[in-house]
Amino acid sequence: MGSTVVVVAIVWLSVLIAAAVVRLIRARSLGSRILAVDLITLLLIAILGLIAAREGTAGYLDAALVLALLAFVATTAVARSYGGRGPFS
Amino acid sequence: MKEVVADVAVLVGLVVCTLAVIGVWRFPDVYTQLHAAGKAAFLGVSMILLAAALTAGGALWPRAALIVVLLTLTSPVAAHVVGQAALRRGEDVYSGDDG
Repeated sequence: MGSTVVVVAIVWLSVLIAAAVVRLIRARSLGSRILAVDLITLLLIAILGLIAAREGTAGYLDAALVLALLAFVATTAVARSYGGRGPFS
Repeated sequence: MKEVVADVAVLVGLVVCTLAVIGVWRFPDVYTQLHAAGKAAFLGVSMILLAAALTAGGALWPRAALIVVLLTLTSPVAAHVVGQAALRRGEDVYSGDDG
């Protein structure tokens, strides 16, 4: 894919992240907030993938991998805490 | 050929990610929002990672595949845990405009 496509895609994903942040701030419940943070992290992973394609280096995908792992752990921990249970119960 | 496939993949990924964000904006309760975000965002990100690996190739393939496999395993679990927590907290369940 051409460099123009990559730049346009990164800009569009940034717009999506901004929309998700607005949604995060205006969410009606804490569940919606956890969900919005998860969505923002997924979009960030997509942006990191596009930057890796643009630069041709795999290091950005390492960061994306770590972000995916951390997002899962964080979402699970926060959601279980919110549901009134501990992480191991 | 490879370029065209990558372009189409990134376009599909962007459309699906947009649909996910629209779903989170428009749907009335947490559970329907989970329906939009849990599936669509994951599919969109997978398509975009596929496009990235097709473009740059080489060392990007195993890492992109690893991320996609990881998201396949963790995304449903995270969505389930969020939905379960919301239900245990008694968050509103949308039952239509009439209900």
